[in-house]
Amino acid sequence: MGKIVGGFLVPHDPVMFVVPDAPAEDIRKRMWGAFDTCAERLAALDATSVVIIGADHYFNFGTGCLPQYIIGTGDVDGPLDVLPGLKRQIIPTSEKLAGFIADHGHANGFDWAVARAFTVDHAVAIPDRLIVDPVRARGQSIGTIPVYIAAGVDPFIKMKRAIELGGAIKAAVEAMPDDERVVVIGSGGISHWVGTPEMGKVNEAFDQEIMDYACTGNLAAIGGLSDDYILENGGNGGMEIRQWAVAMGAMPGARGEIIDYAPVREWVTGLGFVQLFA
Amino acid sequence: MSRNVLEKLMHQLCVDRSVKQRFKEDPAGLLARYALSDEERAMVTGFDVAGMQKHGVNPMLTLGFWTENAPNRHPAAYMKALRGAAAAEGQVFSAGLKQ
Repeated sequence: MGKIVGGFLVPHDPVMFVVPDAPAEDIRKRMWGAFDTCAERLAALDATSVVIIGADHYFNFGTGCLPQYIIGTGDVDGPLDVLPGLKRQIIPTSEKLAGFIADHGHANGFDWAVARAFTVDHAVAIPDRLIVDPVRARGQSIGTIPVYIAAGVDPFIKMKRAIELGGAIKAAVEAMPDDERVVVIGSGGISHWVGTPEMGKVNEAFDQEIMDYACTGNLAAIGGLSDDYILENGGNGGMEIRQWAVAMGAMPGARGEIIDYAPVREWVTGLGFVQLFA
Repeated sequence: MSRNVLEKLMHQLCVDRSVKQRFKEDPAGLLARYALSDEERAMVTGFDVAGMQKHGVNPMLTLGFWTENAPNRHPAAYMKALRGAAAAEGQVFSAGLKQ
């Protein structure tokens, strides 16, 4: 039987790769180091699979098809949007579990779209490269399962549905006959404005509010945030707290701990790192 | 206004190399294939990202469109086009993937 053994809530900031030296030295060391800490802690969880929840940035999907949520059930590579220091590569997968999650959802009210051969963008590729790959390099075999939700392009997935989707992932993992040890990674946020006149603004108060909900496992509070409130206080990029909501929904009742946080204007984002404990 | 068609074109101008090349070589010919008004065509050829956002185009697309196709792709130029001349002052932060 499968089990969710832990979770992480992390940013996927491409600007870290484009202008790595822009922030003050202590800040950039802390932020890159926070990814290293996540990798260390992931290694200690002895995971067999990670489910990384990202959001499309209008790269993967165009106006012809905008899925509310989609899971990669076959081959995976990425990123689609190659960055300095982040070249495209094949990403190890957990195809059996991914297919099981999709099938279990289809039988229980969650009509997953599936990607059989998926080139993910930086939303999944960054945490996979910075958190999971270092653990693989130690000899642990971990497959990545990419999930994308509609947080960057409207119509946005409802917050309530994002939490429910996390519950569907949990239910599927626990129904899996194999002894999978699964870690969920909510990849996104926190406050940032992408391509808007406010780009570069960071709202530390909003970031602290969201991290507080994550650390206290307050699904009702995060699920109760309106889109207008999130857009006003967290920006269009702040809609990515939906990925955090999915991960939190997969671990109801879990408490969290802030690994690190900094509002980094040079990287246009409030970068928060939280570990969720099963 | 056709936000949907504008977004279709913006997306292609972000990710499709052949469409980007056609836009560079023959913008009028490319835009004739899309159900756009004269005003919308002018917004595209004039890189009027502020106007497009006012008409509902996703800011991630206007940023990508600018970054991939504008004559001056620097983030400061994008912010100036978006905010007006005042944005030229001071440091500019951008989520654009190319600088």
